[in-house]
Amino acid sequence: MHFSIRYLTEYRYDHEVTDNLNALRVRPATTSNQRLDDFQLRVDPEARIGRHQDYFGTDVLEFGISRPHDHLTIDVRARVVTGEAVDPPDAPWESLGHPAYELAGGEFLLPAPDEPDHAMLEELVGVARANSPLKTLHWVTELIPDRFRYQPGVTYVGSTVSDLLDGGAGVCQDFAHLALILLRRQGIAARYVSGYLWDAQEDGGDDSVEVETHAWIEALMPGAGGRGEPVWVGADPTNRRLAGETHVKIGHGRFYQDVPPIRGVYQGTAGAELKASVQMTRLDPQASARA
Amino acid sequence: MILREPHVYRPQPGVFDEVFAPGGVPREYAEALVAELTKLGPAELAGAGRRRDAIFVQQGITFDATGEDGPVKDRPFPLDLVPRILPSHEWDHIKRGLAQRIRALNHFVDDVYHAREIVHEGIVPWQLIVSRPNFARQMHGIRPPGGVYCHVAGCDLVRDADGSWRVLEDNVRTPSGISYVLENRTAMTRLVPQLFNRYRVRRVDHYPQLLLAALRAVAPAAEGEATVVVWTPGSMNSAYFEHSFLARQMGVELVEASDLVVRDDVLYMRTTSGLKRVHAVYRRLDDDFIDPLEFRPDSLLGVPGLMRAYRSGSVALANAVGTGVADDKAIYHYVPEMIRFYLGEEPILQNVKTFLLGDPEQCRYALERMDQLVFKPTGESGGKGVFIGPSTPADELEGLRDVILRQPEKWIAQEVVKLSTVPTAGLDGTLAPRHVDLRPFAVFGEKIKIVPGGLTRVAMNEGSMIVNSSRGGGSKDTWVLDDGAGTDGDQASPDEVVNVPQSLPGLRYASWTGQAQQQQQTRAGE
Repeated sequence: MHFSIRYLTEYRYDHEVTDNLNALRVRPATTSNQRLDDFQLRVDPEARIGRHQDYFGTDVLEFGISRPHDHLTIDVRARVVTGEAVDPPDAPWESLGHPAYELAGGEFLLPAPDEPDHAMLEELVGVARANSPLKTLHWVTELIPDRFRYQPGVTYVGSTVSDLLDGGAGVCQDFAHLALILLRRQGIAARYVSGYLWDAQEDGGDDSVEVETHAWIEALMPGAGGRGEPVWVGADPTNRRLAGETHVKIGHGRFYQDVPPIRGVYQGTAGAELKASVQMTRLDPQASARA
Repeated sequence: MILREPHVYRPQPGVFDEVFAPGGVPREYAEALVAELTKLGPAELAGAGRRRDAIFVQQGITFDATGEDGPVKDRPFPLDLVPRILPSHEWDHIKRGLAQRIRALNHFVDDVYHAREIVHEGIVPWQLIVSRPNFARQMHGIRPPGGVYCHVAGCDLVRDADGSWRVLEDNVRTPSGISYVLENRTAMTRLVPQLFNRYRVRRVDHYPQLLLAALRAVAPAAEGEATVVVWTPGSMNSAYFEHSFLARQMGVELVEASDLVVRDDVLYMRTTSGLKRVHAVYRRLDDDFIDPLEFRPDSLLGVPGLMRAYRSGSVALANAVGTGVADDKAIYHYVPEMIRFYLGEEPILQNVKTFLLGDPEQCRYALERMDQLVFKPTGESGGKGVFIGPSTPADELEGLRDVILRQPEKWIAQEVVKLSTVPTAGLDGTLAPRHVDLRPFAVFGEKIKIVPGGLTRVAMNEGSMIVNSSRGGGSKDTWVLDDGAGTDGDQASPDEVVNVPQSLPGLRYASWTGQAQQQQQTRAGE
């Protein structure tokens, strides 16, 4: 699929603030089934943009506005081409013990540092195991939305898996965090993915939809039959499916805090009003995409 | 209670006493000291002790301890008036061993955040490194000015029953204690000058110059133009005295986060005459708190954007970000291997035998011998959470076993070292053997330089081996004897300018506010 994405963030402050510093992780990655054709970032008030790749390979854009200002606009535009992911390999549980698997999984095999001590989690971990790692991955993307309501507003950016378990509801960030724990507890390497999701209904026919930034996961699947290179497979526990050409990846990390789309601080105690929107538009005709 | 003859010093059997050889005869280098102490007598020594406490309280040379009834504030730093003597050949050995070790640790930090050769060679497991709490992903790919990471190191050394030196712990984050080394020496020359009579003791008071020279050497600025600052988390910090002491001695600004600001990728200090660029920061707070944009977002002590400036190479931070991965207690186990791998040398100073409890076999072995080993949590420093098996009640060890089995990778066990003893004065001025360790301070700028001696910490209670000042330990002035063979580069060059007057700190701003967005989607049809 061919998308144009516009991610517009506007802050309005009660009164003037200074030294407003922000780090953005909003630039779509280039991967084996995703290509970034064009990318622009405009900031108002104007600022010099610094760019580097972080530890996980995500592009980070940084800027600071030192002079007093009462609003900040961050305008991100990208054009991306995505392809359908290849069929994930299936392999027996024993293949997780292979040294090549452990090497490729690295730190994404380690237990999450803030894994809650929660009876419901133990129950879910027990239920989550299926006949193979791949079947487990599929099952986890069903299990989580079966057991938890998708409901914006009940959790916030700093919520923990414990909050999700207690409240029974959350958003994609919370669902992804839970999926990571369930998979790692089975010995499957798993990482948090931040990105954009083309979220039009199948036959809606809209060429442009208003979305928000999205979170899903990638799990490391051993090569087919336990031979060959392990591969990272995207899976979306909010939408009950593997990630595909509707998912535009920005980057990955161990959890949300490693790939937050926007992180910023400013001097002063002024309150801020935030308006953020992600507009995705399909540039290729839908008919040809379906063909 | 056993009554003892007064004034008879009895070294403990099976322990190395640094002043009296077995049989009670003073070692050769200590004869003159013993003679002077005898001449002085217990009453005068006790009197000097009382004068010392009064001076320390008056000068604010105090610290906060944890007493039996909770925290104790502002106790005079307990300096024992009997010095510890290190003959020059002993010191040469220590110094070579430490320099070697610090070079290896510096290589390791660089390797961890870049090529990871030691991992590819199968020497240190990658999963162990990334699971260390002080491994800093933010440091990935950053090469600090001069390639120096461990600018200030304070490794803890102990002496085993046979007198051999061993490294107990590395500390390449923000080791503290150097101010006490300098203050102790000053106090000793005032209170008991006669003890120095027949010794040539090497000086320690040039440490601030060594540190300043090292900071200038790594500062990305033209020769002689570097602005250096000391960054303290504030006057509530337990080591604030040392922070202000070092700033004053180096003649540089003592700053807090509110005095610093990053504009684009350059660090500045606010002054009454506007912003002034900063080239090198001796920072005395942990990585977690230095930049809320990249580390803990709730840190109010930090400077937003500092990592951006650091990444661009416009400022040197001492110590570098992420050095805590090297002084982790589980990584310690691998230091001798690091020395062989990076330097192709055999370690001069040995480790204490250590068991990694994350390894099931080593864990089983150690848990079968809990009453013979020392257990330490890997991420802590300063003696926190340490259990000494032989002196811990059996039921407490049982509880500890459960704690360890829950997260064995967070623990190590070590063989007990019977720390050496040095005669130490009691309240009445009589001498008794007390256990000591040694923390020498090394400074790494262009080269590694180590101030002669270091901080000797002493356990003030009979038989105790807990020397941490926060837990009732004291200190001793440490004398490295000058045998006239020269000072081999540990002295600062005389042209280092110090004691530049300080300007007033500039305006202080209100606090920082954070902004972040939760990730959520609006699903089609909702």
